[in-house]
Amino acid sequence: MTSAPPRPTLIPVSLTVNGLPVDAAVPGRLLLADFLRDSLGLTGTHVGCGHGTCGSCTVLVDGEAVRSCLQFAVQLDGCAITTVEGVSPDGQLTPVQQAFQDNHGMQCGYCTPGLVCSLTALLAKDPSPTEETIVDTLNGHLCRCTGYQNILKAARQAAGRPVEEAHG
Amino acid sequence: MTVPEPTAGPTAARPKYVGGAVKRREDPRLLLGRGRYVADINLAGTVYMAIVRSPHAHARITSIDTSRAVAAAGVLAVLTWADIKDEAGPLPCIDRYTDSLPVLQTALADGVVRYVGEPVVALVASTEYGAEDALSLIDVEYEPLPVVVDLDEATAGTTLLYPEHGTNVMTTIAQDVGDVAAAFAAADRVYEETFTIHRYVPMPMETRGVVAEVDPITERLTLTTSTQFPHLVRGFLSGVLGMPESRIRVVAPDVGGGFGAKCEFYCEEVLAPLFALRLRRPVKWIEDRRTSMVASSHAREQKHTVRVAVQDDGTITAVDAQSWTSNGAAYCTLATTPASISSAMLRGPYRIPHYRARAHCVVTNKTPLAVYRGAGHPQAVLVMERMVDTIAADLGRDRVELRLQNMLTPAELPSDRGTAIVLAGQVVYDTGDYGACLERAAEMIGLSGDWEAEQAAARAEGRYLGIGLASLVEETSIGPYESAVVRVDGAGKVTVLTGSSPHGQGHVTTFSQLVADELEIDIEDITVLYGDTDVVADGVGTFASRSAAIGGAAARKAAGVVKEKALGVAAHVLEIDVADLEWRNGAAHVRGVPARARTLGELASAATAWNAPLPGGMEFNLEATYQHQAGGIAFSHATHAAKVGVDVETGEVTVLDYVVVHDCGTVINPTIVEGQVHGGVAQGLGGTFMEELAYSPDGQPLPMTLQDYIMPTLGDMPWIRTDHMESPTPLNPYGMKGAGEGGATGAPGALVNALQDALAPFGVNLTSDGPWTPDKVLALIPEDPA
Ligand code: FES
Ligand code: FES
Repeated sequence: MTSAPPRPTLIPVSLTVNGLPVDAAVPGRLLLADFLRDSLGLTGTHVGCGHGTCGSCTVLVDGEAVRSCLQFAVQLDGCAITTVEGVSPDGQLTPVQQAFQDNHGMQCGYCTPGLVCSLTALLAKDPSPTEETIVDTLNGHLCRCTGYQNILKAARQAAGRPVEEAHG
Repeated sequence: MTVPEPTAGPTAARPKYVGGAVKRREDPRLLLGRGRYVADINLAGTVYMAIVRSPHAHARITSIDTSRAVAAAGVLAVLTWADIKDEAGPLPCIDRYTDSLPVLQTALADGVVRYVGEPVVALVASTEYGAEDALSLIDVEYEPLPVVVDLDEATAGTTLLYPEHGTNVMTTIAQDVGDVAAAFAAADRVYEETFTIHRYVPMPMETRGVVAEVDPITERLTLTTSTQFPHLVRGFLSGVLGMPESRIRVVAPDVGGGFGAKCEFYCEEVLAPLFALRLRRPVKWIEDRRTSMVASSHAREQKHTVRVAVQDDGTITAVDAQSWTSNGAAYCTLATTPASISSAMLRGPYRIPHYRARAHCVVTNKTPLAVYRGAGHPQAVLVMERMVDTIAADLGRDRVELRLQNMLTPAELPSDRGTAIVLAGQVVYDTGDYGACLERAAEMIGLSGDWEAEQAAARAEGRYLGIGLASLVEETSIGPYESAVVRVDGAGKVTVLTGSSPHGQGHVTTFSQLVADELEIDIEDITVLYGDTDVVADGVGTFASRSAAIGGAAARKAAGVVKEKALGVAAHVLEIDVADLEWRNGAAHVRGVPARARTLGELASAATAWNAPLPGGMEFNLEATYQHQAGGIAFSHATHAAKVGVDVETGEVTVLDYVVVHDCGTVINPTIVEGQVHGGVAQGLGGTFMEELAYSPDGQPLPMTLQDYIMPTLGDMPWIRTDHMESPTPLNPYGMKGAGEGGATGAPGALVNALQDALAPFGVNLTSDGPWTPDKVLALIPEDPA
């Protein structure tokens, strides 16, 4: 006596993801994170909490750092999204990414894509941010592996600031 | 066979990789978003598992009605304990003592639930969101039973989790060294204290997850799981399902942190395979964060009472200790290890010739408790280091001096401590200079010099500063063994297989460093593979700070065997006695005729089936398997020194400075070691000042999100300054010890001692590891601090 599955209403959305046009019809409740990961196969965006706290799922929406676990895909109609896969245009590490490797700013790598996206957004707007701005940005991210010191060093390097100094 | 003209390798001495700050080879892939964690695996035809979990801390299940779910569209299968009890045995506990009472977990609740979050019914649906929706279609009725979450109440046993055993104390571990009674009888002074250690959790940023599928050709089961020990999972699953290991493949892909939480075998690793075997479709389950709060192992919670016998001259002669660990509702895969380590290691670096401990493992209506970075060490360090400071203060002695007086000196090592750690063995400290390490840390944090004047001046201005020390010795590099395979292809490229599967430790880099140095080749010529039981036939895993030391030694030894084989082939090819050859720069050279040489690639090529024949008895292919067995536990050591400032108006504690001086034997990669220290300190700091997995008296876990389980962010962290000492261990062929856990082990003790030092003017005596949140700190401070 299996009843027919209730068919979710699908809503059309058109957006740009990593420079390519994407047209899809999605259920209203589909999260942007799940849309990117499961529908588009862009699994570099990670879900660490699903409730907006950890920052692992951060992507760029029209240049702004946005938590993709807090958005529904349908809200992104007409937007341009860049995920970690699209941060580097040519598959070479960008200065932000290189800074993470240079400073051992990552261990398991789970939180890393979100940090790369946040710092990429920050530096695109403000190539020479103050220490305070950097710390503010990083404070929005949880990393369980590194203790943050090397992430801070990576961010400083990417921002052209002295890497080795105690913070206040 | 024509011998080609010799090709000479470069003759300049090659710089060594080991000891160098080699950048991690795994990073570019992860930075470009090309990591592959369990949640990223989407196989065609995947269906999704969801689990109904108990909302009660203790209850009898009176009925389960799955009919609405079974009838629902999109739901493909539903399982209860009744459906699987003939197929799925209890989950293993591998560190049970012979007299431990059997309190094992089952994949689904067997009639009674004993903690909030215990799995009761599992289902599979065609979509992930649909599986979650279907949970509301399962009707379970419960008859609540009395709940016990308090450790003392549980120990008293008025409410029993397993009435058939007549007690909640499932194991009591004994450590007996020397003559404790006589030492106390002869003691000038006796100090007695009770310490409580709260419950907090590893909380890796990647939650757990599994994908199970049955291969249609071989009918073998593949379980992809976010685990620290895929080979052990293969064995556990085989045991639970009664399925031969040969029919099981376990894969650990990229793993987003573990810290002990993934050093466990969980019910989902049984349930997903059971569904996959029934449905013949890939079954996927990804733990959400809320679920992880109750479904991944918890950690730390203990109570300790200690009596310490001291002579007037400051000599600590004996410790008599009891501890109780709140093990939660049943035994984990690693259940007694925290209690075992705490009791075996409580004396830390101090001589203390007479020692007795009784460590009780107690069941409570909470999520099962297991190991978390450091296992039982952080608790023991906190207890011992608080006592040493208490004694120093009471005797009016300098705390560094009192420590030095009681510390084992290098001349006293090796030192058989007379205690033992479950699964690991006898505690025999190997090498180290504990005193030098302490003195260096004290100097770096500024304890020498005018610290007391600085502290007094600050107090006069209403600023409360404190410095805390914690010296520790920790078990690392436990055995029994790790395996490795090294093989060379015809182009001279090397593949290393290791049985030790990483989750952020940088194995690709460190193992490459070791093998590159052994063969004297470029690191780029090496590929490191791990984490798949079909690729690497044998292995143990990554836990207990063992991988680089034990697994790394196996890899380097295997490379050494390959090198010997290569020399043998070279002798044959060059028609020369092997004794006249030497290995240099990735090639076999004729001694005294450096131009006559064969490179690793040429030799590998010469040893293949098609370039043979080799003389009789010589093996084809440059390949070797090596099993490195640990000759005993290697003990790393460290001193942590923390400087804190307390705002007596708000109760807020700021960590102003933090120093770690540590010794983990020969260091492969100082950058990676330092990263391990930083991460561990952050976890210890989180546990000391913010993190707690608290329960209400009726057994409801209080934090449910990362908004209410507060972990440190950058702004909470001090700038950590480290210094390294190197005392190689004779137990390892390359002198390596473990480095993964010391950060978390030392931080709580150092931070609580620092807080104690800061608040000393208020007459406080801190006897818990907190978490020292502002409200709790404020409660210690009188209304008018002046
Ligand atoms: S997953 Fe989006 S903020 Fe944590
Ligand atoms: S590197 Fe593992 S969580 Fe940040």
